Amino acid sequence: MSFYLVQILNALSFSMLLMLTGLGLSVVLSLLNFVNLTHGSSFLLGAYVAIWWLGSGAPWWLAFPAAFLAAALVGLALERFPFRQFYTRTHLMQVLLTYGLSVIFADLMRWGFGAQIASPELPEILSGVVFILDMPFPIYRLFIIGFGAVLALALWFVIDRTIWGAVVRACVTDRRFVETLGLDTKRIFTVVVAVAAGLGGLSGALGAGILSAYPGLDEEQLILALIVVVVGGLGTFRGTVLSALLLGFALTFTKVWIPEMSNVAALAIMALMLVIAPQGLVARKVRQV
Amino acid sequence: MTIRTGLTRRGLLAAGGATAVAGMLGAPMIARAAGQPLKIGMVTSLSGPFAGLGEAMRAGIAMALAEYGNELAGRPVELIVEDDQAKPDEGVRKFRKLIGQDNVDIVSGVISSAVALAVRDVVTEAKALTFISAGSANDLARGAASPLVFRPTKTNWMLGHTAGLWAAEKISKTGCITIGADYAAGREYIGDFVQTYTGQGGQVNQQLWAPLGTTDFGPLLTTLASARPEFIYSFFAGSDAVRFLKQMKDYRLHDKIRVLGGGALFDQEDVVATVKDAALGGQNTCNQSPTAPASLDFSKAYKAARGTLPGEMGTAGYVTAQVIKAAVERVGGDVAAKDKLKEALLAQPVDTVFGPMTFDPRNNQAILDIYVNEIVEGEGGPVNQVIHTYKAVQDPGPSA
Repeated sequence: MSFYLVQILNALSFSMLLMLTGLGLSVVLSLLNFVNLTHGSSFLLGAYVAIWWLGSGAPWWLAFPAAFLAAALVGLALERFPFRQFYTRTHLMQVLLTYGLSVIFADLMRWGFGAQIASPELPEILSGVVFILDMPFPIYRLFIIGFGAVLALALWFVIDRTIWGAVVRACVTDRRFVETLGLDTKRIFTVVVAVAAGLGGLSGALGAGILSAYPGLDEEQLILALIVVVVGGLGTFRGTVLSALLLGFALTFTKVWIPEMSNVAALAIMALMLVIAPQGLVARKVRQV
Repeated sequence: MTIRTGLTRRGLLAAGGATAVAGMLGAPMIARAAGQPLKIGMVTSLSGPFAGLGEAMRAGIAMALAEYGNELAGRPVELIVEDDQAKPDEGVRKFRKLIGQDNVDIVSGVISSAVALAVRDVVTEAKALTFISAGSANDLARGAASPLVFRPTKTNWMLGHTAGLWAAEKISKTGCITIGADYAAGREYIGDFVQTYTGQGGQVNQQLWAPLGTTDFGPLLTTLASARPEFIYSFFAGSDAVRFLKQMKDYRLHDKIRVLGGGALFDQEDVVATVKDAALGGQNTCNQSPTAPASLDFSKAYKAARGTLPGEMGTAGYVTAQVIKAAVERVGGDVAAKDKLKEALLAQPVDTVFGPMTFDPRNNQAILDIYVNEIVEGEGGPVNQVIHTYKAVQDPGPSA
């Protein structure tokens, strides 16, 4: 019994990681209809910043805001140039641009942070373990589950229930109309891209405690994020959460029963979803340029 | 990426001219060789999943050549390093470039076994003197062996087999679970371990496999926690190894379950230096150890240069240079006489920082001492300490 309870917790913590990784990508895609493949780079940058911060002796909990800020600043600069010039271009052009950028960032980070695998030194309070009956479960993973849930709720609240969220959503539906109300849509898009990159950095900071950081992690995470977004459906927030949970549980329980099949499972789910529900778990109409 | 040492462009031109003239005059080969630059090509992984390992290998060979004053048997040495991104097709392209375009005298390197297997036909066809520094698939010493391809490194069998002996003799003949990365190397390590271990009367309860690049070992570790094995035999490499050991510690299994692994699981530079405490108490069989008597001086120099004790790849780069040096010096620098060089290299052992190295005449595979290392707390953090040495382990080779 406790075995399955812990496995469910394993699945939840992994789902949270998937969700955090997918969220930033999905936010930009759904609100701006912009494919941002530098999202993996934001993730890795956040991971490196957090590792560096945790090793520096400064208060540990500030590592997460620091990672968010670092990635958000890079996102901000990128939005000014060259993302902004590509919003109205086709998806293919956006993919070419951002993929090229991600390759450049990978080299820059290898140069700046080294090619060695780096692992954060977690604070005492997070590095313990709780026993559920007699099965161990790491506290850090509970922290991720909690943090992820709070973040998802906050994000949903901002986008769905506040006036700022309404403005952003309105921008997507009809940008010109929002401008007639006297709002600067360029500035709004800048903020959205920066926040999404920041989310990528933040999930990298959280993920580093489990995944470590090394050249190549950016690509691995980008692919996972893409799978999450594809399964969840382009342009929906609830879809991302649901698909992260679906994939997290499927991957975890294939590892429990037939571990060598766990990668196959993720891709099989994606293929199946593309066939039976091409719009994703939660469908929404997206403008195609 | 290209790195050249010890030669200017003008020097190269002059050398090229001299070669042409000497060729026209029909001078004997030996005269042509003396004083001419010796070009060594190295293909390693400087980007992609093995980037850290590749950097270490390059540092190792560069260190050795610098110690020799960039000169072997009176010939100045030029080193050209290329990146294969750990991809077979890229490796083939880079070997073709080194042989066809740069006209190197010797090619070396290669971390990934897949790359080593892919370039086998290229170097065999070109009759290039080849030293494979690390690629270790068993078949490279068996079906894919080649007359001019030398292997100054281990095969996977040499490590899996010795781990099987060690486990049956010193750990336990019951309560074993294997857990490995589900790709060619993982299958070989675990397969060879199981074969030897069961041959010695050991019993394996369960075999678990995780895909290459597994991010979350949580579910597997929970399975381990409920199965409570006495020990596990495991093979993971690089970031997989780091994550596996770190997460073992996250789940507090590192002090409950003994871990025996392939050398890469506890690689000194790549893994142990990163996971630190999480590696303590682990044991592994490896052809390299920073605390092996043959490696002590090198380990010290390497630490001074790179700030960390050497792992297998840094050492492999250095050993490659040592073996090339021995081969080149035994023929007085005349590397064009390939058969003579082969004969001379196989004739007697080479002293390397791996340990004494004899080449098997059947397949040019090194016969090596295999160390059993235990991770203990050392002066500068956890370190691979040799606790036993299996002398002169020889791959079954073509007879397997």
